[in-house]
Amino acid sequence: MQKRQFAVIGLGTFGSNVAKELAKRNIQVLAIDNDTEIVNRISSFVTQALVADATDEKAMKDAGIADCDTVIVSIGENIETSILATLIVKELGVKNVIVKCVSLWHSKIAVKIGADKVVYPEFEMAKKLAENLVSPNILEQINLSKDYNLIELVAPKVFWGKTIKSSGIRNNYEVNIIAVRRHVPVIDDNGHTDIKEEVNMVPGPDDEIMQNDVLVIVGSEKALSKIKEV
Amino acid sequence: MSGDKKNINENNETELMELGKFYFLNNKYDEAIAEFKKVIVMNPNNAEAYYNIGLIKETNNDFDGAKKMYIKALNIDESYKSARERLNKLIGLEDE
Repeated sequence: MQKRQFAVIGLGTFGSNVAKELAKRNIQVLAIDNDTEIVNRISSFVTQALVADATDEKAMKDAGIADCDTVIVSIGENIETSILATLIVKELGVKNVIVKCVSLWHSKIAVKIGADKVVYPEFEMAKKLAENLVSPNILEQINLSKDYNLIELVAPKVFWGKTIKSSGIRNNYEVNIIAVRRHVPVIDDNGHTDIKEEVNMVPGPDDEIMQNDVLVIVGSEKALSKIKEV
Repeated sequence: MSGDKKNINENNETELMELGKFYFLNNKYDEAIAEFKKVIVMNPNNAEAYYNIGLIKETNNDFDGAKKMYIKALNIDESYKSARERLNKLIGLEDE
C-alpha cells in the first residue's frame, strides 16, 4: 500500500506541531511556509520542507500539493490568505482539506469554498478549559456528534464499591461506561515508587467501581448532565 | 502487617519511608501519608516523602494537591527526575 502523504501549509505554532506529530507517526509530510527561517527550522523533522507562497497556484502545483491525500491549511493570522490557499488546494483536486479557522466567519467561508473540515483549536480549548474549571470532576469531554458526548468522570462516591450492574448507571442514567481508568502504585527493584495507569477497555457488569476510578462514559448530553450532578 | 509494624523504629527515617511505601503499594493511602508526614517532621528536606505524597494525591485525582507536593520535592532537589516528569505531565508540559 502506498504511504499516505500529508501537507501542512502555514507553519505557525499549530501548523508546525501538526506537521511534527504527523512525521513522528511515520507519515510523509510536506511542510510549506513563506518564511525561510521557519521552513529551515522544521526541515529536519518532516519529509520535505518548502518555502512557497500558498496563494500562488503554480507554486502550489510545483510543490506537489495535488499528490497529497490531505492538506492542512493553518494560516490563522490572515483570513484572506487562508481562504485563497484553501481554494487553490481544492482546485488542485485534493480530496481532504482541513482548515484551521480563527472565527465563525472564517469557517463559514472555508466550508463554502470546499473545506472538508474546519477546526478552531483556540475555541475548542477555551470551551474545554471552562468546562474543566466549572466541573473539576470532568477530566475530559469529547463531542461525538451533535447530541452525544464522551466524558471522563471521577467516579462519584455513590458508586464506590458497587459493580457496574448494581450501580444502576445504565438503567438510571441512560449512559454507558465504555472504559475505566485507574492509577495503581508500582515500585521498581531499587525501591523507587511511581504510579501507572491501568485501563479496563471492556468493563463487564460484575466489575467493581472503586474509589478514585475514572469512568469513561458515553451518552446523550442530557443524560450526561444528569450524571455530572451526582 | 502488624508484625511488620512492630519492627519499625519510629525514629528511623528510612524505615518510616519503607513503611509508607508499603502502605502505598497496598492502597492504604491515608496510612501511607501519615508515615510520609512523620518522615517530613523528622527531616523536612526529604524530597522523596513529598514526592510519594504527590503520587498518592495524583492517584486520588487531587491534581492540584499532587502538583504542590511535586513542587515541594523539586524545591528540595531540583534534579528529582521522577517528580519533574510527573509535574510536567500534570501541568501539560510536553517532554523535550
